[in-house]
Amino acid sequence: MLDGLALFGSSIARFGEPMTLLHIAVASFLGLVIGALPGLTATMGVALLTTLTLKLPPDLAILVLICTYVGAIYGGSRSAILLNIPGTPANAAACLDGYALARQGLAGRAMGISTTGSVMGTLIGIFFLALFTPVLGEIALKFGAYEFFWLAVFGVIISGNLTGDDPLKGWLVGFLGLFVASIGQDAIHAYERFSFGNRDLAGGFQLIPALVGAFGFAEVLSVLSEKVARPAIHAVDSYLPRIRDVLRYWRTVIRSGLIGTFIGIVPGVGEDVASWSSYAAARRASKEADKFGKGSVEGLMAAETGDNACVPGAIIPVLALAVPGSAPAAVLMAAMIIHGVQPGPLIMVQNPQFVYDVVAMMMYATLGILVFGLVMVRPLIKILQVPRDVIMPIVFVLCVIGAFAIAQRLFDIWTMLGFGVVGYILRRFNYPMAPFVLGIVLGDLLDKNLRRGLVISDGDLTPFFVRPISALMFAVCLITILLAIPAVNDWARQAWARVRTS
Amino acid sequence: MTEKPTPQADFISALVWLAFAALVITGAWTMDRLEAQHINPYTAPGLVPGLLGVGIAIMGALLLVRAMRAGGHRWVRSPIAAKSVDRGRLWLALVLCLVFGAVLVGRGLPFWLATMVFVAVTTFLFQWPERRSKGQLGRGALVALACGAGTAAAVTLVFQEIFLVRLP
Repeated sequence: MLDGLALFGSSIARFGEPMTLLHIAVASFLGLVIGALPGLTATMGVALLTTLTLKLPPDLAILVLICTYVGAIYGGSRSAILLNIPGTPANAAACLDGYALARQGLAGRAMGISTTGSVMGTLIGIFFLALFTPVLGEIALKFGAYEFFWLAVFGVIISGNLTGDDPLKGWLVGFLGLFVASIGQDAIHAYERFSFGNRDLAGGFQLIPALVGAFGFAEVLSVLSEKVARPAIHAVDSYLPRIRDVLRYWRTVIRSGLIGTFIGIVPGVGEDVASWSSYAAARRASKEADKFGKGSVEGLMAAETGDNACVPGAIIPVLALAVPGSAPAAVLMAAMIIHGVQPGPLIMVQNPQFVYDVVAMMMYATLGILVFGLVMVRPLIKILQVPRDVIMPIVFVLCVIGAFAIAQRLFDIWTMLGFGVVGYILRRFNYPMAPFVLGIVLGDLLDKNLRRGLVISDGDLTPFFVRPISALMFAVCLITILLAIPAVNDWARQAWARVRTS
Repeated sequence: MTEKPTPQADFISALVWLAFAALVITGAWTMDRLEAQHINPYTAPGLVPGLLGVGIAIMGALLLVRAMRAGGHRWVRSPIAAKSVDRGRLWLALVLCLVFGAVLVGRGLPFWLATMVFVAVTTFLFQWPERRSKGQLGRGALVALACGAGTAAAVTLVFQEIFLVRLP
């Protein structure tokens, strides 16, 4: 514990230099703008900034990306409040009460609540990031091929179940992602799978071009094809956060922070689910439930605390297991690997300082959103008034650069285009994107560990089901699948109701 | 984007999944099992793609059954509910982006020039109806050109000159 505090202290001191603070300020500002602009998500922002930070030292590059990530999730609340359009999917729940408050002439108050909730949520998440990462890392050291196989399956099943409104579709795209990851040379025999003699395909699809396509290009197509006109921006009152909002709703803040962090830890689920879950939990527990959706301070506080708490939460499995908790965390993980940092179970053994560096980066990112949340209100309103017909072509140019710059291959631009078109079609058919991304990230883990496990056990499947952690993950997957079947779900609900009444 | 797909849309997507799964399973089954190299058969490269193909086929079949139960196999004129989507704008965006990404970039044309042309043309075409109704086509063209030139200059300066990122 004391070692951890010492490492954290040295990280805080190291990132306190003037040039580093300048990077934090620029990245937080960029994150805020990216998040606030509808059509530019946190995933896209982190992917684009990965390109820009290629030549920076690793710790500075990752600091910039974390500030961008935190800033974007927070920034998305601005367009949710002012335009009733969530800047990122994580801010959809904030539209309900944020925009209602803005229509009552309280846009400034809503932004103050959003700032308070975001800062409190991130701080709660940071506490658990520092606390849980070493613990989870220690548990992960006990993982063998069987556990890693189930971890990959667990991620896709849970993500598919929680990120859309149709688990079957979530699992289908999750499996598609796992399959996409298998294209190219296999990790055991270097055999070219599904490459059809194409040299580029033999190298497989790179994660960042695929993500830029699925999130960036698909979003450009969505926004440009929409008929809706942009709603008017309301006048802004005082936007200073009020301490009495935190004191009055402290239970909601803590509950939402815990929910957000926990959902962040679950592989591939992400900030949007954290936000909606926190919002729903706050509504259930509130004495003012009737105000929700009509401009409830508590509702907005819950949504914004939940999604921001999810950010540090999503980084916990990245560091401890090399499994991302959300789509932007997947890009962040890819960026860490590009910069020579290998996250995973061994990180607490080989590079414990890095874990506390990330905690310190998060602290500075929180400071960034607090400062820019207060000083950037009116400039952001100006930026939000730029028409989508001007912004989106520029975003697409950034998509092309983002896809190309990492490996300097034209093939990566074509990958981005292909994944963008497929991503757009899948969205139109109501397929969620998060399980697809997680499938691409976890495909290699599943592939190698299933085959290794079978070799170790000589084809015997028993170890996949009887080792304690494997058995637990298998049971969770099975229960999740069974509960997605309506008849089983109804039966389980009735049985639970009977237990509660007896 | 929040519109729910019709059972017909699910029926169509289920058929696509089943066809895709059939291709994956066939590809995995016919893949070299590297027997000549005497590898452990459990490490055959086609094993995992094959299992994934089977998984996709099972889920595709479930989706198909569910869609058929909801009447998805009956023909309708427009299977995808898309009240918020302007198809003209969609196709225009798709064509312009594909031409820029797959044709203009990386074929010898300087990136700044390709960027300027793409941003200017896209902005102008998407603002066309509004500008025409206001009688501001000339002004629209100038604004679009300024956006294109500004983007090209900013992208080259920031990426290439400041952050030393190689552009396509």
